[in-house]
Amino acid sequence: MSAAETSSEHSLESENELLRSRVAALEAELVKVQARTNTAVGQWQERAYWLDRWHLDLNALMRKPGAAELRAAVRAVRTVTRAFRRAKRSLSRS
Amino acid sequence: MKSVSVVIPVKDGERYLEELLAALAREGNDETLVIDSGSRDRSREIARAAGVELLEIAPEEFAHGRTRNLAAERTTGELICFLTQDATPCPGWLDAYREAFTLDERVGAAYGPHLPRPDTSPMIARELTEFFAGFQANTATANGDGARRPVIQRAGDPSFLSNVNACYARACWEEIRFRDVAYSEDQAFGADLLAAGWAKVYHPGAAVLHAHDYSAIEFMRRYFDEYRGLRETTGHIEPFSVPATAQQVLREVTADQRWMTQHGISGATRARWTARALTHHTGRRVFSAAGSRSERLPSPLRRRLSLEGRAAAGADAGAAATTGGGGGVSPLPPATHIEKKLSGEVYDVAAQVWRDGPAPLLDPLPGMAERERLRLAMVIPPFSRGSGGHNTLFQIFSRLERRGHTCSVWLADYQGYSRDVWPAVLRHDINEFFAPFQGPVYKGFDQWQGADVAIATGWQTVHGTLQLDQCRARAYIVNDHEPEFYAASAEQALAADTYRHDMHCIAASPWLRDLLIERYDSSAEAFQLGVDHDTYRPRPVVREPNTVIYYARYVTPRRAVPIGLMALAELKRRRPDVRIVLFGTGEMLHASFPYEHVDVLSPEQLSWLYSQATVGLCLSLTNFSLMPKEMLACGLPCVELAGISAESIFGADGPLELAQLDPNRIADAMERLLIDQEHWQQRSDRGIEFVASHTWDHATDEVEAGLRHALREREEAATTIR
Repeated sequence: MSAAETSSEHSLESENELLRSRVAALEAELVKVQARTNTAVGQWQERAYWLDRWHLDLNALMRKPGAAELRAAVRAVRTVTRAFRRAKRSLSRS
Repeated sequence: MKSVSVVIPVKDGERYLEELLAALAREGNDETLVIDSGSRDRSREIARAAGVELLEIAPEEFAHGRTRNLAAERTTGELICFLTQDATPCPGWLDAYREAFTLDERVGAAYGPHLPRPDTSPMIARELTEFFAGFQANTATANGDGARRPVIQRAGDPSFLSNVNACYARACWEEIRFRDVAYSEDQAFGADLLAAGWAKVYHPGAAVLHAHDYSAIEFMRRYFDEYRGLRETTGHIEPFSVPATAQQVLREVTADQRWMTQHGISGATRARWTARALTHHTGRRVFSAAGSRSERLPSPLRRRLSLEGRAAAGADAGAAATTGGGGGVSPLPPATHIEKKLSGEVYDVAAQVWRDGPAPLLDPLPGMAERERLRLAMVIPPFSRGSGGHNTLFQIFSRLERRGHTCSVWLADYQGYSRDVWPAVLRHDINEFFAPFQGPVYKGFDQWQGADVAIATGWQTVHGTLQLDQCRARAYIVNDHEPEFYAASAEQALAADTYRHDMHCIAASPWLRDLLIERYDSSAEAFQLGVDHDTYRPRPVVREPNTVIYYARYVTPRRAVPIGLMALAELKRRRPDVRIVLFGTGEMLHASFPYEHVDVLSPEQLSWLYSQATVGLCLSLTNFSLMPKEMLACGLPCVELAGISAESIFGADGPLELAQLDPNRIADAMERLLIDQEHWQQRSDRGIEFVASHTWDHATDEVEAGLRHALREREEAATTIR
């Protein structure tokens, strides 16, 4: 085997090694990402228990006609109520 | 000017008939024919007094289509109008019809609106007004004159036609004729007319005063008839669901209230009509849906629900639908249309795997079997509280998760057992019924994201698991030899097929492992079921003498409950003082001996029961179950069947008392434990000692080794190929 051939084999071997370690790193990354995803979905399912139990899909509910208007109305009432309370508090302080 | 005949089918129609005939005299048609089918009131007298032609037929000869065809044959007008006995033409009615037939030479029929009478209920009045206004929705012009304009309807337009108030060109009727159906002959004619290239005209000027003055119950029965007729003539099935019905009823009642406001109805009258409207619309939805599914109801019930007292299931209608009217009567019942199901059965999934093969696996990576943290996805069948197989799975999977593996659970519910259970609830139930699990739970595979090992866990899950891509390996946790759960059947064949797809099997006993290897040539290894020693331990309670407890789960055939009951009967015959307690079933079984029943118990309760009894009896015709181990852990000697799977775990003379599948031999084994105190003590001590090492942690070690083995097999296969 010539020196050139030996050198080329070494170079291929080291390239393989590099690729293997890159694959291993990517695999490890995948495991981490999936673990994070699983944790997040698991925690979300924990919180969503009662919504799922009552078959409540809030996105679908809010798409219904009038839902956005109702929400806006509630927010408006809440804003007025808060402003009223703030005013009452500041009046009672002064 | 075209000559006009008017036909009025009558039965007990005296209330409006006089008014109707007077209106016709005013309108000036050429000929009037009243067909009476057995009136018991003054209808015939009224017709005779008005000087119109009267044709009498027997009530049983009447049918809406047939009788109208007969009447058309008996008249001569170029136009034939049909009115019902309670429809009074408004002024201008006849002129409007004559005009309708001049609009196009292919006009075969015309119809006009039904206007409410002054005493018509608000909901019917509103409905009539809105319904007929709908036909003119597209013709109203800016100056409002569209409201009185006739509308020509051709193929593709609504096929609605109503013989309450309709007029036909004789040429059209002769070509199409009314189908010989019991109901909705007009709707069928409307559809047939358009299909044959004729046109029809809605003319707002051809109005009649008309309202059905029924009680709430009569209305419901009428809707039953109407939708039954629609089903028979057009195949229409009225959709029905409780939420949609509730919404629709609410909408209708709100509209009725609005209508009442517009018409100045208020106070107590309004409240009374609101209550009636609620009943009316609810009854309408329910009875319409029932009517369009009437073929599923028993004949006596159909007759009771029908206002016309009709019980027959529409053989006449089926014939009419196929002949288009006038033909013979087919003896075939109408076929039932079945909608496509939402999801495929497990059979469909198996067929797909047989057709396309499993999804290809990802290339193996060197060292993947030894990686510390694996991505594990477990595919499970639907479950309920107390499911033993699922308990085993989650005891292990929970521990795998705690060891740092990334775990997810996927429910394969091809038959829709958990259709109404959403994922977060499934996850909650797993935690409540079996073991703690922090990871996500998915229904179906829409969000499938791949795994190092996809794990099938029951025969129903295997074909679905084989379709999952982005996996390095697949494994199969086999709790039992499931083909034995079924008699000769598709299920038996499919369950057996699951062992032939080169998935590495992790079997819940050495017996099961050997069976999989020998019978199916599977790659398999075994794990030992664990015992929760915190729960199953001898409790501080005095054992009751002469007490035999029996796991009598009758609904599980592999538990051989009839054999167990025979054995207990024999024991009771030999030893009348023995106390027998049956548990594990909600059903109180019939037995030839007196016994005590304690239902399905929690693990905690079971441990106390096992600690108090003298002998346990638990039979299994397939793989050995967890229960005998739990009895042994509580110091309770247990009798099991010999020659099946128990020896593979306990040996032929281990802690279990084994007996052949024979009631007398089983009774012998129980009696020996009851009589021989030394023998009893020996079995009890050996049992506690034996199961001490059988823990869920140990089972998890074995299953984890099996999962890594599945990955290693893939690595080795790849090396061999290279």
